[in-house]
Amino acid sequence: MLQSDLATVLPELILAIYAMGALMFGVSSGKDQTTGTLTWATAGMFVALALWIGFGNAGDRSAFGGMFTDDNFARFAKITILLSAAAVLLISQDYMARRDLARFEYPVLVSLSVIGMMMMVSAGDLMALYMGLELQSLALYVVAALRRDSARSTEAGLKYFVLGALSSGLLLYGASLTYGYAGTTLFSGILSTVNEEVPLGLLFGLVFMLAGLAFKVSAAPFHMWTPDVYEGSPTPVTAFFATAPKVAAMALIARLAYDAFGGIPDDWSQVLSALAVLSMFWGALAAIGQRDIKRLMAYSSIAHMGFALVGLAAGTAEGVQAMLIYMAIYVAMNVGTFAFILSMERDGKPVTDIASLNMYSRTDPMKALAMLVLLFSLAGVPPMLGFFGKFYVFRAAVDADMAWLALAGAVASVIGAYYYLRVVFYMYFGTEGDRLDSRMAPAQWLALVAVAAAMLLGIINLFGIESAAALAAESLVR
Amino acid sequence: MATIILFAPLLGAIICGFFWTLIGEKAGQIIATGLIFLAALLSWIIFLGDIPETGHVTILRWIESGSLSIDWGIRLDRLTAIMLVVINTVSALVHLYSFGYMAHDENWGESEPYRARFFAYLSFFTFTMLALVTSDNLVQMFFGWEGVGVASYLLIGFYYRKPTANAAAIKAFVVNRVGDFGFALGIFGLFFLTDSVRFDDVFAAAPALATTEISFLWMNLNAANLIGVLLFIGAMGKSAQLFLHTWLPDAMEGPTPVSALIHAATMVTAGVFLVCRMSPVYEYAPDAKTMIVVVGASTAFFAATVGLVQNDIKRVIAYSTCSQLGYMFVAAGCGVYSVAMFHLFTHAFFKAMLFLGAGSVIHAMHHEQDLRNYGGLRKKIPLTFYAMLIGTLAITGVGIPLTHIGFAGFLSKDAVIETAFVGSQYAFWLLVVAALMTSFYSWRLMFMTFWGTPRGDHHTHEHAHESPMTMLVPLGALALGAVFSGMIWYNVFFGYEDKMRAWFGMEAAAHHEVATEDHAATETAAPAETATATDTHGAAEASAAATPEAAAPHGAVPSGGIYLAADNTMIHAAHDVPNWVKVSPFVAMILGLALAWLFYIRRPDLPGKLAAQQRPLYLFLLNKWYFDEIYAFLIVGPAQWLGRLFWKRGDGDVIDGSINGVAMGIIPFFTRLAGRAQSGYLFHYAFAMVLGIAALITMMTLFGGAQ
Amino acid sequence: MDLMLREYLPVVILLALAIGLGLVLILAAAVLAVRNPDPEKVSAYECGFNAFDDARMKFDVRFYLVSILFIIFDLEVAFLFPWAVAFGEISMVGFWSMMVFLGVLTIGFAYEWKKGALEWA
Repeated sequence: MLQSDLATVLPELILAIYAMGALMFGVSSGKDQTTGTLTWATAGMFVALALWIGFGNAGDRSAFGGMFTDDNFARFAKITILLSAAAVLLISQDYMARRDLARFEYPVLVSLSVIGMMMMVSAGDLMALYMGLELQSLALYVVAALRRDSARSTEAGLKYFVLGALSSGLLLYGASLTYGYAGTTLFSGILSTVNEEVPLGLLFGLVFMLAGLAFKVSAAPFHMWTPDVYEGSPTPVTAFFATAPKVAAMALIARLAYDAFGGIPDDWSQVLSALAVLSMFWGALAAIGQRDIKRLMAYSSIAHMGFALVGLAAGTAEGVQAMLIYMAIYVAMNVGTFAFILSMERDGKPVTDIASLNMYSRTDPMKALAMLVLLFSLAGVPPMLGFFGKFYVFRAAVDADMAWLALAGAVASVIGAYYYLRVVFYMYFGTEGDRLDSRMAPAQWLALVAVAAAMLLGIINLFGIESAAALAAESLVR
Repeated sequence: MATIILFAPLLGAIICGFFWTLIGEKAGQIIATGLIFLAALLSWIIFLGDIPETGHVTILRWIESGSLSIDWGIRLDRLTAIMLVVINTVSALVHLYSFGYMAHDENWGESEPYRARFFAYLSFFTFTMLALVTSDNLVQMFFGWEGVGVASYLLIGFYYRKPTANAAAIKAFVVNRVGDFGFALGIFGLFFLTDSVRFDDVFAAAPALATTEISFLWMNLNAANLIGVLLFIGAMGKSAQLFLHTWLPDAMEGPTPVSALIHAATMVTAGVFLVCRMSPVYEYAPDAKTMIVVVGASTAFFAATVGLVQNDIKRVIAYSTCSQLGYMFVAAGCGVYSVAMFHLFTHAFFKAMLFLGAGSVIHAMHHEQDLRNYGGLRKKIPLTFYAMLIGTLAITGVGIPLTHIGFAGFLSKDAVIETAFVGSQYAFWLLVVAALMTSFYSWRLMFMTFWGTPRGDHHTHEHAHESPMTMLVPLGALALGAVFSGMIWYNVFFGYEDKMRAWFGMEAAAHHEVATEDHAATETAAPAETATATDTHGAAEASAAATPEAAAPHGAVPSGGIYLAADNTMIHAAHDVPNWVKVSPFVAMILGLALAWLFYIRRPDLPGKLAAQQRPLYLFLLNKWYFDEIYAFLIVGPAQWLGRLFWKRGDGDVIDGSINGVAMGIIPFFTRLAGRAQSGYLFHYAFAMVLGIAALITMMTLFGGAQ
Repeated sequence: MDLMLREYLPVVILLALAIGLGLVLILAAAVLAVRNPDPEKVSAYECGFNAFDDARMKFDVRFYLVSILFIIFDLEVAFLFPWAVAFGEISMVGFWSMMVFLGVLTIGFAYEWKKGALEWA
């Protein structure tokens, strides 16, 4: 019994042991010399685990009496999380080393946070959910304030921590309400409760929990922390915030909605629709006024979470599939975009001002072109992959008789296109100013160009994620 | 071989247009020119060889939609071969000529590259023109038709810094749109009636079209005539016939080699080619043919009158072109397509030569184009003078009457006029008078340019110089054509009907009648259906088109490049016209020459006096019969008014207004609101979260679960 | 009615006494006291700090560090108590779980030691 339980959580276990070992190794060698090695080792670890999980070919199974679920859905999410975390680590390495940020704790904290995320997507119990969530969040609070002598970074960390605590409080309150009315913390138990009759308290518990999770995916109106934290944190950390945790939290919402509250899709669907519409519009509208590209990406991620929530709100297997595809594409786009943002510097100092991109196409046409593809993709311009992501979620919404939601999404994406295209405008038609340095680390360049190419080539068959996502969705929505 | 001919210019255009930055401007020019010469050489091989039957080369499948199936193919018959020779020869020589002519151009700065672009456009034009003449179906032809329009637009507007050049380019494009609309309607009509756009299918169905009636609004129209008229409207636009001719003189804004290639020798003859190509349809459309004759003859006369008084050397030749195109249409409209092609063929040589000669004069005179500032240039530029002289002798039709010895224009123009005598007295008299005027204005041009005393700027005259060899060699080559092309090919175009039929690959006359009746009989059934557009008929058509192999045999395709109906005895009759008719164009030519000599050599004061005496007439002619002004008043003005209404009110106020209102009013308002909400204070953020959860709870209470 | 009012009488008397006494004391101070003010005397009293000063004044962060570290191990002990009390009834899984927990904490402890968080100098 125990042995099969441990076998199920083996990837997480290995990662945890690795993280602790890395911590000991790092601290014993002193003065952050091992950071480079550790970063590469951690990224390699992530990729190896992702491959293992991907090709491991285990069926649906659960451990610890249902508290931990390992199915296609969890595996899809885990692979996305692991690969994106690895990519972010690699593109950040150069930035960290050159900005005196190369602390060996960073890869360790990222590993810990990734363990938390893996726990989240596999959660089969409210306690497992909370444990994963907090493990993830605590690590993130720390990395947000990684540059501890910078006022903005510490402010970001503090804000994130305080508001995160508030959201955890909401989540816990919801969990306790749910426990109170359902009499169990197991998802399967909650599911059998809601299948009989639904007390209002249980619905309140659901709303509170969704609100707590909405904070993690930065869905409006629980998004307020996002711009400040994105802007204040060191850029590699921002890149990390924008990718893996979003996938984990989104997957967790899906898991909670289907595994625990699968009997009342109409109820959570309306909450998610409301969050989705608010996020899409707020993200699109607020981003227009931004001058800082990191803040811009913050609002962009708010809007994108809105689109992904549209897929979830549909309440069908098709919707889950659409959400997974959307998240995978979103993560890829963000990795590419942040690879570029990480390389933005003038006279060796990082800049994040959008206006500094003026006439960038002349400095470096190749990178400008790759950025153009990425920004078009983010805006959802066909034939880039970003368009297909939106297309899938909208189609899921329409098929679920929620055409109004798809329509709202379409309008929001039109508004949103403005600010992406504004960046393109600066790059290609702006007025010439001080030029950015053309230096770029190989890993960043590779990520930027590879993702941009993928955005174009992916239209052939989406690299097969469509069928994988369909399998994943099938295992969640029974 | 035909494939190489077709794609060599395209290759040249691509290499020269896109890759000259890599290989250099000069290399680009040489490659483009070399490829055209290759195409020209192959064209002559095809032309001089035997073409026993129509060849088809399918290059790629292009469009398939429902019953519409279009392949990209080459149709190779005598008609195509003639056009190939004309196009590629003139194009090759113009390419060569442009090396000299475009070497220095004051419209461009020292470091600005323009030559490669020019050559790329020329090659591109050649490709589209070849696509037009080699096409195996109407849609591909339409592609070429529009392609040459684009190339023409680009080349007329080549000096894009000159507002007049831009205006002329736009005018050419827009006027051509009117004609193209007719052409497109004709294609739609043919597809509607025959369910195919392939020439073979269309031709096979032509006899049936003659017996088909189409109801449109309150009118009952004969299908063949309707199609014929629509296609001719297209031809009118491209060939600058009366009412749609206004763009051609303005097109002279382009560089002179362009005028020679596009606006004299090739593109403008596309309309004539179209009529000849569609001869199987026109043979069944007597009313459409009558219209062609009337329009062609009127154009020939009208353009000649305007040509009398123009002072710009290129405009004189442009109106001359317009007039000569009228001749060709008269011949085609009379049903003697071979003569139309004959005149097209010879005209291409001497008109290209006149234009290139004019270009040489202009080059020598530092881009001075006004005849009144020329004079006495015979000594300064002797070679150009002789070339122009040969061109003028050719266009005015100098030869020995009642024999077949003479310059190219003598033989072809006389053939046209003899044909016209049989076909239509109206056309005949107009053409004879036009021949007189042709002679007059051609010699007027010669006399004003090369004889007399130098006028205008002294400095320019002193520095007048002979053009370089690259410009003179093409003139020499064309001179050969202008002198001999008529005599060599007279017999096969016009002289003997049997030879002509054999040359064009048609059946001999005797068998022909039987064949025609044969497929007319087999064909009556299917097109009768076509007329009554019922549902069952649509289905039948669809099924027929689904199996093109099955559909193909449903009509014997007339063989050969052109087609003459069984009762078409025009050629025979044209040979038997009275002798005074045969001599009349020669007499007209002599009269014109004498008048020109009197006016510009003997008594140079006469023209001024005459103009003063007949002032209204002079102004009428000088202003080209006020066509531009009438169009400006009747069409351009209202159209611009309507356009401005849609633009300012409809698009500007309504559409832009509402979009801008949303985009620049409402959305920024929300953006500011969102910006203000993002205050940076933790308690505001926490408050927003609490508000959010309160709202969600309220929503759940109101709409959730139990309710 | 009367009864109720009568019950509140002591309150009224106390109120009157308090006000009276207060007035007497304040007036006495005003009349009798020797006045010799200096800045230190007139400022409000606050234990250990200046009353009106920047609240974000610097003091050693190690105070916090130590207290936070203390809390972690304090909680560890709090966690150990119930475990120890129920030790006889839990399985080997329970035992090893606690051992793993202690191991993880030890790693944390080793980290902070190596980092020098415990050195006070």
